Amino acid sequence: MTSFILNERLISTGERPGLTVLEFVRDVSCLSGTKEACREGECGACTVLVGRRGADGAVSYKACASCLLPIGDVDGCHVVTVEGLSGAELTLVQKLIVEHSASQCGFCTPGIVLSLTGFCLGAKKLSYEGAVDALDGNICRCTGYVSIRNAARALCASLAKMDLPPAKRLGELAAAGVVPAYFKEIPARLARLEAEPAAAGGNAVLVAGGTDLFVQKPGQLIDSELCFLSRRPDLNYIKIDGGVLRVGGAVTIEEFRLSPEVLLHFPALEKDFLRHSSAILRNKATLAGNVVNASPIGDATVILLALDARMVITGTGGRREVPLSKFYLSYKKTDLGCSELVSEIVIPLLPEGARYHFEKISNRATLDTAAVNSALLLTTGPGGAITDLKLSAGGVAEVPLLLNTESFKGQKLDAETVEALARAAEGEARPIDDIRGSAAYKKLLLGQLVRAHFASTAAAGEAV
Amino acid sequence: MKNEDMLMHVRGTSRFIDDIPAPEGCLHAVLFTSPVARGKIRSLDVSKAAAAPGVAAVYTHKDVPGLNQVGHILKDQPLLAVDSVEYIGQPIALVVAESRRAALLALKFIQADIEPLPAVFSPREAAAKGLIHGKRRERVTGDLAGAYARCKYVAQGKLASGPQEHFYFETQRALAVPGEHDTIKVHASAQSPGAFHHHLAEVLGIPMHKVELDIRRLGGGFGGKESTAVWITAPAMAAYLLKRPVKLALSRNEDIATTGKRHAYEYDYKLGLDGEGKILAYEIDLYQHAGACADISPAVLGRSILHVSGSYNIPSLRVSGVSCRTNIPPNNAFRGFGVPQGTLAIEAALTHAAELMGVTPEELKRRNLLRDGDTLPYGVELSGVNAVRCWDTLDKQAGIAARRAAVSAYNAAHTDNKKGLAVVPVCFGISFAQTALNQASALVNIYVDGSVSVSTGAVEMGQGVNAKIRIVAARTLGIPVDRVRVDTTNTSRIPNASPTSASTGADLNGMATKLACEKLRERLLEFAARHLSCDDPAGVSICGGAVCVGEKGPVMTWEKLAAAAQWARVDLSEHAFYATPNLHYSVETEQGRPFAYYSYGASLTEVNLDLLRGTYTVEAVEVVQDAGESLSPEIDLGQVQGAVVQGMGWATMEQLRYAPDGRVLTGVNCYKVPDIKFVPARFEVTLLKDSSNPYAVCNSKAIGEPPLVHGLGAYLALVDALRGVRKDKPIPPLPITPERAFMYLHGPEEGK
Repeated sequence: MTSFILNERLISTGERPGLTVLEFVRDVSCLSGTKEACREGECGACTVLVGRRGADGAVSYKACASCLLPIGDVDGCHVVTVEGLSGAELTLVQKLIVEHSASQCGFCTPGIVLSLTGFCLGAKKLSYEGAVDALDGNICRCTGYVSIRNAARALCASLAKMDLPPAKRLGELAAAGVVPAYFKEIPARLARLEAEPAAAGGNAVLVAGGTDLFVQKPGQLIDSELCFLSRRPDLNYIKIDGGVLRVGGAVTIEEFRLSPEVLLHFPALEKDFLRHSSAILRNKATLAGNVVNASPIGDATVILLALDARMVITGTGGRREVPLSKFYLSYKKTDLGCSELVSEIVIPLLPEGARYHFEKISNRATLDTAAVNSALLLTTGPGGAITDLKLSAGGVAEVPLLLNTESFKGQKLDAETVEALARAAEGEARPIDDIRGSAAYKKLLLGQLVRAHFASTAAAGEAV
Repeated sequence: MKNEDMLMHVRGTSRFIDDIPAPEGCLHAVLFTSPVARGKIRSLDVSKAAAAPGVAAVYTHKDVPGLNQVGHILKDQPLLAVDSVEYIGQPIALVVAESRRAALLALKFIQADIEPLPAVFSPREAAAKGLIHGKRRERVTGDLAGAYARCKYVAQGKLASGPQEHFYFETQRALAVPGEHDTIKVHASAQSPGAFHHHLAEVLGIPMHKVELDIRRLGGGFGGKESTAVWITAPAMAAYLLKRPVKLALSRNEDIATTGKRHAYEYDYKLGLDGEGKILAYEIDLYQHAGACADISPAVLGRSILHVSGSYNIPSLRVSGVSCRTNIPPNNAFRGFGVPQGTLAIEAALTHAAELMGVTPEELKRRNLLRDGDTLPYGVELSGVNAVRCWDTLDKQAGIAARRAAVSAYNAAHTDNKKGLAVVPVCFGISFAQTALNQASALVNIYVDGSVSVSTGAVEMGQGVNAKIRIVAARTLGIPVDRVRVDTTNTSRIPNASPTSASTGADLNGMATKLACEKLRERLLEFAARHLSCDDPAGVSICGGAVCVGEKGPVMTWEKLAAAAQWARVDLSEHAFYATPNLHYSVETEQGRPFAYYSYGASLTEVNLDLLRGTYTVEAVEVVQDAGESLSPEIDLGQVQGAVVQGMGWATMEQLRYAPDGRVLTGVNCYKVPDIKFVPARFEVTLLKDSSNPYAVCNSKAIGEPPLVHGLGAYLALVDALRGVRKDKPIPPLPITPERAFMYLHGPEEGK
């Protein structure tokens, strides 16, 4: 049985855990406000809110693409669709969308309502820029977004005085008409709702965020036994431990990006991971899942390669550690055994004076897969000699590459060295013609990104 | 006034096709489509699929009860392939099952033996081989040879523009429900009630009065639901044969892979100017990439041909166009309907000419703008031209010369980034270029409680046509707008309706509504004068929802008037018909008056190009658009903003890739349309002040398509930035994706 609160109603269902929330709300619960427009998390029309009760008893809400969200993953949660927002009165978000004419055909509108409402519930600061970030996965083909931006701006203006942290904001948000009053009862109701522990069956398919898995094989997953890592609190941690950052296998991209540890030790990652994917996917996709997915072009992978990350792999055979640079064997093949999982990612803290930089080029600047991406970690000694250099590249081979830079160590970092490095990178690249670009483009582009790394790190000085 | 549907959209209560509760016993249909771009069907065996679990039936062309034909302009498109296939994705069989999943699983059991034949994917190659839809069209105006002899500058070259996927959020879909007496009701996401009604009856082999097509709203259309009837007739045929409700809905990737797109074009241009920069002559040859069937392509080409001169006065002009038959899914209408493509060539040619002359493109464009008294190449002498007014209003707001100077200063000061700027004037002919389509009817019913229902042939797809019709009805009747409801678009109430396209939805249907309401108002005023025993019937009026007599103010409410009139046996229902007057065009002579009027605009677009990476941002778009006396400025502003961004998507990031065998490789994960962060921070839209228009309802002007052409500004501004860096390559094709910009800057020479 899967139990969750759907809007105001308690649901206990025997439907298969692999059924998506989108299918459940539309076909089983007959709530048609949540729209299907792409089934791949690319458009945001099916956005719902998932409220999960934390250890402190507070419920944190995240906007998620319901087309990639299996109901097994929301066991014990509060799921909010557009029907769960307004009663007789429109909510504040809804009123502002109408006021600013931020809806035309209307098919994307419920998703936009949910994303903005999720922003009000979950964002640390209610800034206009944050609201736009929250909408980066909601495509609208009609309005041209100007009116949507105006509505978002008005929303932030009307909530300007709200400075409570998200966990304590519920009462005020209800009073401001952002969410209905019943939301206030949800934490207590969820406390009474016991989620079943994560299944541990040997044949179970591990689902981390599921945002790629449910794009690739939704048909298969509906009949599979699933084990959801979101229900493994033991894997949900980020901590500094000596000279390393330890990230549990269930940590989402968004949790990672905005965690105090990352903001303190790797401040550049906040922006870099904003380009990883849209808010509705970052809220679900996990850092470890992105690495295990083994895409030759994964942003997280390319960043972690340059940061010299190690994978902690746990399975029936025990626990082992593998450097990420040795983790990929061939296209989409990893060093992960069938009963193993990446339980932790270990990222060494940056050495004193190290410079880090990430470059990503995609057809659309945001919410798009890279044609080529690359990350750099550089330390130089006295006199500007390179003491350590890690340079990674995605989209130029069947696996994400850590380029061979041994010969550059000890060299003086000057224009000539950068040029030689750019050419060496081009030489190592073995891209193919595909939907992300021609091989010729990707090869040349990698060289340019190497040049861009140094142009940017030079400008940024010692900053990370 | 706003689009009242928004109140439902924000609650998620607006009903699209999939939101209609499935009727008891509803089946789901899926198409089995061709895996090869061109081939001969040697054999087709569907027996195993028909026996698969949950399958109700599998149909082939032999099962079509009526005419196996959905060709829109030419009868060249079978609903289900007979003995040959012409594109990947062409429907061959229809599987109907208890669930969509069961239908999809059954597809695997269909055995089709298809002998592949050589296919053509290049429009120029198709044209060279004589593979074209309809005839090659050509018009020559003026003395070309003489004009070129007087030219000091001649810009000549080749250009190309790419396809564009509609990406309407609601994919192609329909729900068909059989009724008694062999009737059928079809709920569809469709822009052409009349034409699709006809296609349905033909395919089913029954008279049109047994078919009812009902359309509440579309989750976006943009032209993509105007002409191709496959996804409506297929489920209807299954429902008719099985006597059970049947639904068909394309998945997003099926929709991208198998439905029509905005046509890609290729061009040969030759533009001649005198020493002062006055355009003397222009030659332009259009190769339209139409796809395997004519669909609506010849009409799109026709509109391109009518718009090749853009907003400029060109005394001598030769234009030719061919609709090239290639082995890709038939392309169809897309907002702008060939005008953006037709306009692109003259705009790019002027950029080229400005380079030759060493002046800014703005200078050349301003000098050659259309003015009152100019004659268009097809013989229309213009009046009421607002091209210069729009340009000058923009100039006043944006300061074009100062902006150009600022761009030059920025470029001189920066080596890693370069800015580009473009000003685009728009002149867009309004009316269906096919004269026969310029007709509409409206049915207005007043009920005894005073509520009013309006039915027209207009289809609501977010553009706010229903809100505009409500405004027209309320204004004409003299009642509050909340007394008026616009009913669904339904072929039983409004027969033979033209498509809602060509930006004419409000013009035509609003005018028909106005005529019907005027007749009702006159009838009610006459009744009121009698009923109230007024000595001076001319002093009776209806305003603000009440009957007024002379200066006395309200003497009777609208509701009481309606009830009293009905009791007195006055007809409270009216049907009216409107046909746009004085339209004619001859394809033989390529002369006539195809448009009732023209919609004008001007815009400035500024981009910033990162030379190192080939990436760019659109930094500013400022638009002045002529909407006449806007019926709803809120709606019209939204239409302009949406159209401009859609046009910018076409010009920049929207691209499709095909495999060598003709397969569409681009799925939803890589077909990128503008997102919220792409839209420039500075985005200003102004509706031209003090504009009126005697040729459309309430002096308004059409707004749906014309502003899309401003999207060309993003392309031209990028061209400006790129050519500022290097001019040794030809002008790049549209769209300028980051890859194309990068390769233009860093890649090898073309052909090397």
